[in-house]
Amino acid sequence: MAISCDTVFTHKVWQEEELSKMVPGGVPFPMLSDPGGKIGQAYGVYDERLGLNIRGRFIIDPDGVIQAMEILAPPVGRNVEELIRQVKAFKYVRESKGTEACPAGWEPGKATLKPGPHLVGKVWEIWKPK
Amino acid sequence: MALKPLMEAPEFESQGYFQGEFKPFKLSDFKGKWVILCFYPADFTFV
Repeated sequence: MAISCDTVFTHKVWQEEELSKMVPGGVPFPMLSDPGGKIGQAYGVYDERLGLNIRGRFIIDPDGVIQAMEILAPPVGRNVEELIRQVKAFKYVRESKGTEACPAGWEPGKATLKPGPHLVGKVWEIWKPK
Repeated sequence: MALKPLMEAPEFESQGYFQGEFKPFKLSDFKGKWVILCFYPADFTFV
């Protein structure tokens, strides 16, 4: 879901007039309205000076728990590939019921780590930086 | 208190635009699913 302080009317016009020209059919997720930035305040991303929410991105798991967050100042955009990589990694860890962990730069198919006493001092055998 | 990973995501309800309709959305509507929540400054901006 995307959320800004704009009204749903502005969302509709933005979707119809611009986004649908970038993404066929328009963006495939709900665009929410946060008048006055109340939701942004709850998430710590409302900027009083701007009167707007800055670029906060939260990955929330099926239990409603935040697993990851990233907050950028307005002039730099996000990296969707990195977001998808993180979601895949958090899903993988959840499916392993926390028995496996995904090391830096992990992508599906790459080695994971099974934390425990045997792994202490041995990570180098499994994981090497590029 | 500042929000951090492993904390419960604050519940919210707000009006949304989706597939040509205006309708309310609650975070708790998505229990059981992974949710990506992206805040951004404003529509019709550039980044």
